[in-house]
This record gives sequence, C-alpha cells and structure tokens, in this order.
Amino acid sequence: QENREISGTVKDAATGTPLTGVSVRVNGKSQATATDASGRFALQAAQGDVLVFSYLGYRTQEITVGTSASYTVGLQPAEAEELGEVVVTALGIERKTRSLSYATQQLSADQLDEVRDNSGNIMNSLSGKVAGAVITPAATGPGGAARVVLRGNRSISGNNNALIVVDGVPIDNSSNPQANSTFNSYGGSDGAANLNPDDIESVNVLKGATAAALYGSRAANGAIVITTKRGKEGKLAIDYNGGVSIDQPNLLMDFQNTYGRGNGGEAGATAGESWGAPATTYPDNVRSVFRTAATVNNSVNLSGGTENMQGYASYTNNHNAGILPGNDLDRNTLNLRVNNTFFSKLTTDAKITYLNQKISNKPRLGDTGTPMGIYIMPRDMSEAELRDFEGTDPVTGEPTRKYWTTSSIFDNPYWDLNRTSVNEERNRVTLLGSASYQLTDWLRVLARYSFDRYDDKETGRYYNGTVSLGSVQPGGQYYETYNVRSERNIDVLISGDNKLSGDLSLTYNLGGSVLNRKSNSLQNMANGLSIPNQFNLSFATTPAFNNVSIIERELQSIYGSAQLNFRDYLYLDVSARNDWSSTLPSPHSYFYPSVGLSAVLSDALSLPEWVSFGKVRASYTEVGNDAAPYLLDQLYNFSLGAGQGFVSRDLTRAISNLKPENTQAYEVGLDWRFFNNRLGIEATFYKTNTINQLLYIGLPLASGYSQQYINAGNIENKGIELQLNGTPIRGERFSWTTYINFSRNVNEIIKLSDQSNRADLSTSTRLASVVAVEGGSYGDLYGYAWEKDANGNHLVNDAGLPIVKANTKIGNFNPDFLLGWGNTLSYGQFSLSFLIDGRVGGEMVSGTDSFLGAYGLGDYTAQYRDGGLILPGVKADGTPNTTAIDAQKFWTAVSQNGRDAWGEFFTYSTTNFRLREASLGYEFPLNGGAFKRAQVSLTGRNLFFLYRGKSTLDIPGMQRRTIPIDPEAALGIGNYQGVEAGLLPSVRSFGLNVKLSF
Amino acid sequence: TDNFKELNTNPGKLTEAGAREMPFMFSRAQSAAAMDRSFYQTVQNLGADLYAQYYALSVTSFQTDRYVLTPDWQRRFWTVVYANTAPQLKAIIENAAPASGEQALANILWVYAFHRLTDHFGPVPYFQAADPVEQIPYDNQEAIYDDFFKRLDQAVADLKALGSGTQVFQGFDLMYNGDVNNWILFANTLRLRLALRIAQVSPDRAQQEAEAAVASGVLTNNGQNASLAKSLKGNDTHGLAQTAAWNEFAMSSTIASYLKGYNDPRLGRYFQPDVTNGQYNSLRNGLPPSALNNPRNNSSQNSNIGTYWVTWSASSSAWTPNLEARQHVMSAAEAWFLRAEGALNGWNMGAAAQECYEQGITASLTQWGADETAIRAYLTSTALPAAPGDTENSPAVAATPIAWAADESTRREQIGVQKWLALFPDGMEAWAEFRRTGFPKMYPVVQSDNADLPSGTFIKRLPFPIVEENNNAGELAKGRALLGGPDNAATSLWWDVNE
Repeated sequence: QENREISGTVKDAATGTPLTGVSVRVNGKSQATATDASGRFALQAAQGDVLVFSYLGYRTQEITVGTSASYTVGLQPAEAEELGEVVVTALGIERKTRSLSYATQQLSADQLDEVRDNSGNIMNSLSGKVAGAVITPAATGPGGAARVVLRGNRSISGNNNALIVVDGVPIDNSSNPQANSTFNSYGGSDGAANLNPDDIESVNVLKGATAAALYGSRAANGAIVITTKRGKEGKLAIDYNGGVSIDQPNLLMDFQNTYGRGNGGEAGATAGESWGAPATTYPDNVRSVFRTAATVNNSVNLSGGTENMQGYASYTNNHNAGILPGNDLDRNTLNLRVNNTFFSKLTTDAKITYLNQKISNKPRLGDTGTPMGIYIMPRDMSEAELRDFEGTDPVTGEPTRKYWTTSSIFDNPYWDLNRTSVNEERNRVTLLGSASYQLTDWLRVLARYSFDRYDDKETGRYYNGTVSLGSVQPGGQYYETYNVRSERNIDVLISGDNKLSGDLSLTYNLGGSVLNRKSNSLQNMANGLSIPNQFNLSFATTPAFNNVSIIERELQSIYGSAQLNFRDYLYLDVSARNDWSSTLPSPHSYFYPSVGLSAVLSDALSLPEWVSFGKVRASYTEVGNDAAPYLLDQLYNFSLGAGQGFVSRDLTRAISNLKPENTQAYEVGLDWRFFNNRLGIEATFYKTNTINQLLYIGLPLASGYSQQYINAGNIENKGIELQLNGTPIRGERFSWTTYINFSRNVNEIIKLSDQSNRADLSTSTRLASVVAVEGGSYGDLYGYAWEKDANGNHLVNDAGLPIVKANTKIGNFNPDFLLGWGNTLSYGQFSLSFLIDGRVGGEMVSGTDSFLGAYGLGDYTAQYRDGGLILPGVKADGTPNTTAIDAQKFWTAVSQNGRDAWGEFFTYSTTNFRLREASLGYEFPLNGGAFKRAQVSLTGRNLFFLYRGKSTLDIPGMQRRTIPIDPEAALGIGNYQGVEAGLLPSVRSFGLNVKLSF
Repeated sequence: TDNFKELNTNPGKLTEAGAREMPFMFSRAQSAAAMDRSFYQTVQNLGADLYAQYYALSVTSFQTDRYVLTPDWQRRFWTVVYANTAPQLKAIIENAAPASGEQALANILWVYAFHRLTDHFGPVPYFQAADPVEQIPYDNQEAIYDDFFKRLDQAVADLKALGSGTQVFQGFDLMYNGDVNNWILFANTLRLRLALRIAQVSPDRAQQEAEAAVASGVLTNNGQNASLAKSLKGNDTHGLAQTAAWNEFAMSSTIASYLKGYNDPRLGRYFQPDVTNGQYNSLRNGLPPSALNNPRNNSSQNSNIGTYWVTWSASSSAWTPNLEARQHVMSAAEAWFLRAEGALNGWNMGAAAQECYEQGITASLTQWGADETAIRAYLTSTALPAAPGDTENSPAVAATPIAWAADESTRREQIGVQKWLALFPDGMEAWAEFRRTGFPKMYPVVQSDNADLPSGTFIKRLPFPIVEENNNAGELAKGRALLGGPDNAATSLWWDVNE
C-alpha cells in the first residue's frame, strides 16, 4: 500500500477539548508527529497501518488506518487509565498515580485559564474544583492575595496556606502585609497573583502533609504543584489566547430608601446618619460610585524545536480593572524556556520568567476604608452632592476637603479615590536551571538551581487635609516603600531505579538542598510636606526612614525516599528528611519520616468486569516545622519621637528555647472506577495532629507584653474528601461529564498549654476576637452576646435595651462542608461548562453591617423608626420587658457606632451556594488555512448566589437578615478571618475569550 | 550552620537595653505617660476631658458624652501605662545605679503614670507591673498610694543629694531637659496632689505627706511649670491639638458658664469664637443625637479650643493643629490651690489659705497672658457664673464667687472651681478632683445612655478592660472584689467618699 496523507484531530474524550502535543506515530515505522495547538495532526501512512496516539496523562490509543483520510480520535483521560497515569509530585518527580499512597488532584490548564477571576489570582480559580480546598480571596481588588487552606487550619501563629511549587521548586508566596484587625489596611499582593495562567500546563494539588514531605516544612499545609508549558518538538506553533471581561459588583447590601440624614426622626442637614425624617432618597447612590470595569487579557506563545532542543516563549499582558474607579492592575509577563538534550544523556532545562506588575490605587479596606466611606453615605445623598468632594483654597490653590458632616474618621469617598492613592509596582525575575545526567541506565543525577527575586515599590500619596488615614500631617503625606525579597534554592538529587527480581523493583531518591530566603522592606516617609501636596521625598517636613521588616533565613536539608514496587500493584514508600534551620536555637536540627502503602486491588485480585480500577492506600507522615526568624532574643524597638527618639521593649516576649513544631498525619484512601471508567470515586480520610506548636498566648496587659510565644498544644484536624466523577452520556456528538467534590474537616483544639487555654489569632478584639480555645476549634469567634437568664430568656435592661455579656462564643469562621459540582456538556462544536459550589456552615461577624445599623442605612433599620420595639426578654428581676424603644436606640446601642459593635448582633452564617463559573464555547471547524484552531467562548464568573446565609441571632419581631457581603471574602489572607469591615463587593464577570493557533 | 546565630539576629532591632538605651527609654515613657498622639483622643479626650466638662461632643460619631463606654479604649489606657511606659521605667529603675538621678526620675514618672491609671480604675495591677508572668494580681488603691509617697520621697531625697545644677537625661528629658531642681519641685507637687486626693479617707497620712512636700519645695511660679516637648518626628505630636483639629468637640456649657460669667481673661485663651458667628458658644454634655441635629449644636457654631492648639483657616475651611506646641503637664497654679485647700484643712502649707488661693489665680491668669490690672480686677470681682446661652437654655451652673469668701464651705468651693479652671486642659486631674470634692458644680449630662448611671448622676470610674478576662481572669476576679462595688462606671473609688 502506498503512503498518503492521513490527518485528523485528537481530543479529550471526556471534554472534547483538542489536545496539543499528542505524540502520533505509525506502529513499526518511522513516521511520527505531534498534534498542534488545535489538536490536529497530519502524517504519511498507508491503509492498514496502525497509528499510535500517546499523551501524558491519557490512555494510549491505537487506530487502524482505513479508507478515510481523516480521523477524529478521543483519548481517555488518565484518571480513567489503568496503568500509566503520571502526576508530578514532590521535587518535580513524576510518579504513576497508581503508586501514590496519598491524595492528589490534577487540574488541566483549560480548567484554569478560561474563566478568570477579577483578582487575576489563579488560586481563586481553584474554588470548588479541588475537594477540601478552602479558598478565601482578599477583597482588595485586582492583584489581591488568596488564602488557600487544605485540610483545615493547623497553625496558630504561623502560616496555614498551601505551598506553591512551580516546575519542581517552591516559589515565594508571601503576602505581607495582611489585615489583622478591622482597622484600615491595604492588602498586599501575593506570589500566586504573579502566576500567569496562560503559561500553566497543569496544576496538581498535593493535599496532605504526606504528599509534600519532601518539600520540607513549608509543605506541611499541602502543596499546589504547577507545571508550566515547555517547547515541543515540531514546527513553530503560535497560540493566541485573548479575553475581555466586564466586571461589576455582584452583590450590594439592601438599603432603606425612606429616611434621610438626621437623627431621632428629625432632619439634620449636617448629620452623618440616616436616622432623619422621610426624604427623597437615591437608591442607587452607593452603586453609582462603583464602575463597570473592563478587564483585558492578551497572551501569545511560540513553541517549537528539534529532537534535541525545544523552545517556548510567551508574552502575556493582563489589564484587570477593579470596580473602584482608578483601581487597575497591569501585568506583563515574559517567559522563555529552553530544553536541551546533549549526547543523549544530559538534559537541561532553563527558564526565565520576568514579570512587571503595577497596581494603581489599591483600595483601603477596613472600618475607615474607602468602601466603608461609600456605604455609609446618607440615603438622601445625591450623586451630584457626593461628587462635590472638595473646594479650592483661594490662597494656595490647593484642594480643600469637603465632607457632609464632621468626622475624625471618614472622608468623602471621592476624596479617598481622588486625593489619596497607594500604588504598587513589582518587578520579578524567576530563574530556573536544571541539568540531569543519566549516569547509567538506572541511575540519574539532577542538579537544580532556582532564584526568585522581586522588587516592590509602593508609593502612598495623601493630600493635605486627609482625615481617614488618621495621621496625615500638614502639607500631606508621601511615602515610598521598597521591598526586596529573594529566595535561592540549590538542590542535588540522585535517582535510581533497580529491578531486584522479576517481581520486585526499587526506585529511590537521595538529595540535599540549601534554601536561602531574604527580605528587606524599607520605608521612606514624608509625613508632612513643606510645599503642600508636592509628593516627593524632597519636600518632607520631617523625613523618616523605617526598616519595616528584615528577614534572612537559611534552611539546609538532606532527604531521601525509596519505593518498593511489587508486580506493579503493591507499592511501599518510605521517606526521611532532616532539616537545619537558622531560625531555631542550636543544634537547629529536626528530623521527620513518612511511610505509605498503595495496593491496586484490581490488578492483584480478579474483580468483576464492571470494576475498571480499584486501589486502596494508606500513609503516615510527620512533618517538622521551624519558625519565623528572630524569636529567640528579647527585642527592643527604636522609633522616632521628640528628643532623640524612643526605645521600647517589644510587646512580644521572646522564646529562647524554641522547639520545632511537628505535624503527624494519617491518611487512608481509595480510588475506584467502574463501568469502563465512566464512574469514578476517590475518597480520602485523614487525621492530622500538630503538636509542640509555636503559638502565641496572651499575657496580662500589666506584664507589659501583649503576648508570648510558647511551644505547646495539640491541634487536630480530621476529615474526609470525596471526589465523584462520571460520564453519564458519551455519544458521537453529545457528551456530558460531571464531577462532584465534597469535603468535611473537623478541627479540635485538644490541648493548648498549661499556662493558658486560649490563644488569640489576632490582638484585635473589635466586633469579635478570633481565637483558639482548648476544647473548641480553630477560628472560634468570641465577642459580645445577648445575655440570657437561667431559663434561656434574653435579658433586657431598664432602658429596654439588650444586656450583653463579653467573651461569649458567637461563631467559628470555618465551613463545615464544602461542595463543588462541575459539568461539561458538549454537542458538536459547542461545549458548555458550569460550576456550582458552596459552603455549609461557618460564621462571619460583619462590621459592614454594624455600620449599616449604626447609621440607619440597612433596610432593616426602617422598621420601628417611630418606636414600638419591645424586645422579647426579661429584666434582671425576671419580669418581662415592657419598655418600647425605637430602631435608632436599638441599632446604635448594639452597633456601638459601628466600630465596636456587639458581635452577636451582626453575626451571619457564611453558608452559601453560587454559580461560580459558566462558559459556552464554540470551536470553529477549520480545514486548512492560516489557522489551526479557532475557539471562542462566552464566560461568566461569580454570576449569582443561589443561597446566602442569614443572621444567626433571631430577634423576634425582626426578620433574619441576609449577609450583606460576599460570605467567602476577607479583609486579608492571614489567620485573622471571620471578621470583616468595609469589604469591597465581590465581583461578577462576563467575558469573551478567543483562542487561536497558527 | 556556623553562621546561623548571626543570620538569626535582626539588624533592625536591639536585643538588649542597657545604659546606652536608657535615655531613649525614658523619653518613650514620658511621651506615653502624658498621652501621646495615638492615645490622646480615645483615652483622654473622649473620656476624662468630657467627664471634667471642659468640652462636650458636637458629633454623633461617639457616644461617650452620654456615658456609653467603649471597652477597647479602657484597654488602650492600660496599653499606655503597662506596655508603653512601665517596661521602660522598670528597666531604668532596675539597671540604673541605686540612688541615681536616672532612677529617681524614672520613679517620679512611674508615680505620675500610675496615679492617672489608678484614679480611673481603682485597684490595678501595680507591684508586679511589667513582670513577665502569666497572672498579675491587683493591688488596692491604698497600698498603691502608699508606694507612690515612698517613691516620691526617696526620689526627691536622691535628687537633692545630687546637688544643684546636676543634669539627668539631658537632651532626652522632654519636660525639664534634665534640670534636677525642677524635677524636685515637680515631684513634690505631685506628692501634694496625691496627699490631697486622700485627704478625706486618710487625713493623717495626707497631712504628713502634704506638709513634707511643701517643706521640700513645690512649684511656685510659671517658669517652673511642667510641659512636654512634642515633635513631628515619628508623629509624636500634640494629641489635644490633633484631636481639636478634627473638631468633634467644643466648649462645654459648664466651663462656658464660669468663664463667661466671670468675664474670665482665660476664655479667649482656652477657647476661640465659633467660626460661623464669631461667638463664644457652647453646648451641653450628653446631648442626644436628635439634639445634635440642631445646627446650633454643630462644631461650626461652637467654640473650639484656643489658638495655642488650633487655628482656623477660612480659606481652606479647615483647622490646622499646632502639632509641635508643648503639652501642658502641671502648673504652679495647681500647687497654690492644693496648698490653699491644705491650709483650710489646718495643715502647714507655708502660707495662709487666702494667699495661696490668690497666688493660684494670679499664677494661672499670668500663665495665660493676663496683665496685672486684669488680675487685680479678677481677684476682687463680684461676677458670678452666667447662663451660657445654649440650646438647652441652661441657667448659670452655680453661684460661686471669685473674691475670697467668708465661710469655709464657699472657700472650698472657690478653690475647687479655680483649680479646675487652672487645670485646663488636664481633664484627667480635673475629673479626679471633681469626684473627690464635688467641685466645680456641673450640669448633669442631658442624657445618659449608660444604665448604671441614671439621669442626674456623674460617672465615677472606668470598668476594667475586658481582655483581662482572657489573660488574667483569676486575678481580675480578686481585683473586682477589691472594688467594694460592681465593676461598672458607678462604683466610687477608695478616695471618693464625698456625696
């Protein structure tokens, strides 16, 4: 038979997505090629030849060439594979999934780069897609950081975020500063926000401590392992991915629209509150301040190469606009990667990523922030009046502040938007080089160097007269903060693979690494400008320098792991690691081992036909952890002041005998697939105990310390993660795949310390304290609650107002369950995907709501304006309350002017379900021409809530209120969660996405 | 790992506080103890300054003028004393040479800081303050006062032993720049103040301490007055000036009634005409939100404090604070009034009661720029407090005359009124003495929103910070037991026995 051109397309059989880079070869002959970016291939073959399609993570498939010249091939995803699925695990080591004794979950690029979050942070795209991941975005607009907690919180004073690893090397994901109170704050960006979704090939989530034992301490909270794209052998291929989206506030609170400015039912022209007389109101005045913003992403990448050298280059520009006017993120990412093979034994991989990111007009959150300033405007404030935010000083020509009432706390939000600004620019370079040499056919040595450095420059400008920052001196304030952070990792890894007998083989890794981390943050402050509003350090009235933070630390490690493989169905894993950390007292050392077992029962036993695959696994891991630097010596701080300046003892008591903390994790799991892989179930049960934890405990104020570090405690997390996936319909033209993620984590503080049974996660006590209390669980919220008598009746005082009790448990910020339900329906060239996810349980104390109450703005404040509210309760003597009060009395009492509200009255369940993502795509059928692939899709994110939580306190006579802010948003991504004030509204995005390949 | 120790040392911090750091620590404690800018508003201005009825709140953003308490602000007062002041002073007291000037100054400042705290709360953790322990007991006020006197006595003795002209913490002492003589006068005046505080509950001890103080030398002229340097550096600015620029309070009708009725030359110094009508206008303490709707009760139609602290710019429609103005701490006038009261008690105050009283008035009026003619006229004035002309149509608050009266009870009231006027703007001391003596007579707050303080009553103390329930619960319970009443704002302190 004569060869002729055979062409076709290779797709993911489950999703219909074209697959790029699939190796296609003619069995037994030399012809071979790979699919292009649109999944298309063409090669010479003869009738009767067998074409073999193989692709990482997919089942290899063969077809026999018939009379047709064109073939469409659907590859079964690897999770449906029985033998060969590989995932990237610790240190960039690829492992067959079947051999893993711990849980991982893999996401493809398509699941992450199509529907994007307005924050530009790819971590937010994991929401609902990963069983057991609690993703909390900081509501700080584009560039905002995200908190990613896998399997519950375990550290009180430390970090609970998962480690992020790119191409085998952890990246710096620090996110200073983060809010630790409801006081105003500008949330810092994080490292994950710098990742370019367009460069990502796949994301693998290693959930437990087990998975990450080899990454060391930082991976005790699990790891997000990201593999980026690399060049592929073949002709030059060009991909373009472009998207535009329209972002707008998803959710605003419900306001009353009856009463205007004033107090006591009487109009008051200069009042700040809306407790006045009925007035002409402007229902959309709050919404009018926010804008509908356009976000634009453009990405182009080139890839190509020969057998011995492949190159990849990409350039991406992201312009993410926030919903606050002027708040924008512009990010340019350049990525170059070259892979070489020399003398067939030496392979190298070199990558450089450069990023420039600018965030302008970062929003100030918190109880005096810009959003709060917007929310609290009177209901009878017209847009025009609000926009009249300044005058001009006829003498100096400088702007003068105008505000509708007298306030030491707030400015007109337009003043905030126009006359205060914080801008941030980051330049980041990430270098990665690795060389791997095949010593023998069973032994390989890998040396790797990575360097990650970024330079941040933040500038702040506050015009003369600004009040809301609290400390702007005459002339205005200007500052420049330089933050330089770098991380260098050098490691050497020897890997071997030996067949011990016909049935038994051994693979092993031995390695060592040195990790250096440095960070230096220097602030030049000009508080007070001699020439007003000249925002340059040269005009500083009293220039000041402040080394805001310095961090320098080193971690040296040796580690090893070994795996015994018995007949490819029974695997035994052991690993051990010893670290030496500069942050610990001598001898600086700690050791931690792990052991795991995986058995593929479907191979070991003979199971019914309808069982496609079955595996059980178990593991035990310990992970040690060091601490932040500089905790060993008592510190004294210098600060500027009158005279020659001040020295004062630090408020944290040092711990000279600091010990490493230790996490012990047990995990068992199963992975079963049925009916020719059309139904799959993965389940994991885990239990972790973190002991010897480094935690803060409060000391009496009178000690002069606010807290001290101790090593103590036992914090337990146990839970279950379930993933179900199925392909209910798999037809020629129509298919439907679906998955459900479910997880539950239960946390218990089994023991704290002998000195104290309570540790505060933040020193802030406003609205609620976020605490860990012995016998309770991590993230309990304690605050003022409405006191009850012995019979359970609420107590009311002689004025008819609630009697409250401080330090009462009013909630916990962690959800009880997480659910995610994703679907892809494809019909011909169309595909429709949507994701519904939700959280059940958990509470949040809303400072936003307490301000709405204090200022008479919430819709609920319209009730009882004229009195008649008799709170159901009894007086101290047991007689029923008969004193009628009005709404203002009630809400100003319980809200304590907003800032210091009695928490229970503003506590909400954070249970919520939402349509997180939806996309409708169309793949153009192409035959030749310039394009190899063309796809358009309409996308939507955060589209609407199916359900939102209610206030937890039932006040008879008043309806339960619905949470007025996004239940999953937060002021910051630190351990201070569950209390908010002045969050930005969450953002709903509608987008159009175009993918083209040339 | 050889370099690990060096690597783990933070170059931006100090790891020990020795002789080199001591002067800096003293400055820190001084600035903190007198309420620095960060704390002035919430700890003093929205508390004692209102309770002393120097000012009244003209905005609805805060409720403290109606006796609503903000627990977080009580915690802030403790932070001022226990975190920002005491550890620094304790380090100096423990590390400085025994009987040294450094130790003496630290002890004097210690008493100054703690007497303001205990006079707000009553029993407080004292003898173990600044110790790094898990529980710290509360001490009763009598024992604390006893220690105050001992420390002051010892400090003055040590300073006198140094010899005249000695400078301590020169360049760092923000009050007297290290002048030992002035520190002796300051310490003795503080001792005299504390002696009179306990005059009703412990008359013998009070007499003994007061006579010792006067004999040793107290402030007698304005050149010796204590005030604190302020600086834009580090935002260590004048807290009252900053707060006044925010313009959320104005002249209280109580002080307006006295100053306006007396034609007091200090009216135009303590306050300035309102920016709308150019009048000296005032409002009552404790106005409900609806009354604050009345434009006449707005900040713009009432008198802000004087140009020493803030100036109004009509062109920019804004107040400019005088952030580097020295902050008043203690004056000679107060010492004279204390001596006047002591003399009425029959103590040896080195001068007769009337002389002390008139010297006090003279010192205060001189301090605020009145000339001799005005002072002479004032001393013999027959003027009485007047109706301040506020929205509540308040009558004159009292009928206290200025000229030295014939009967003792009027004399005591006169001393109380004039001392209160002279103490301005130190609301903390003024509120303490109002509680002890009942002088001056004040208007009741128009509305109390504190269920423990029914209409017509005055606030007596502040409750302990809630955070004590978390971190010092056992001792807090015992501390509450020392109070002799519930831990609320209506329980009188140990020395507050008049009624």
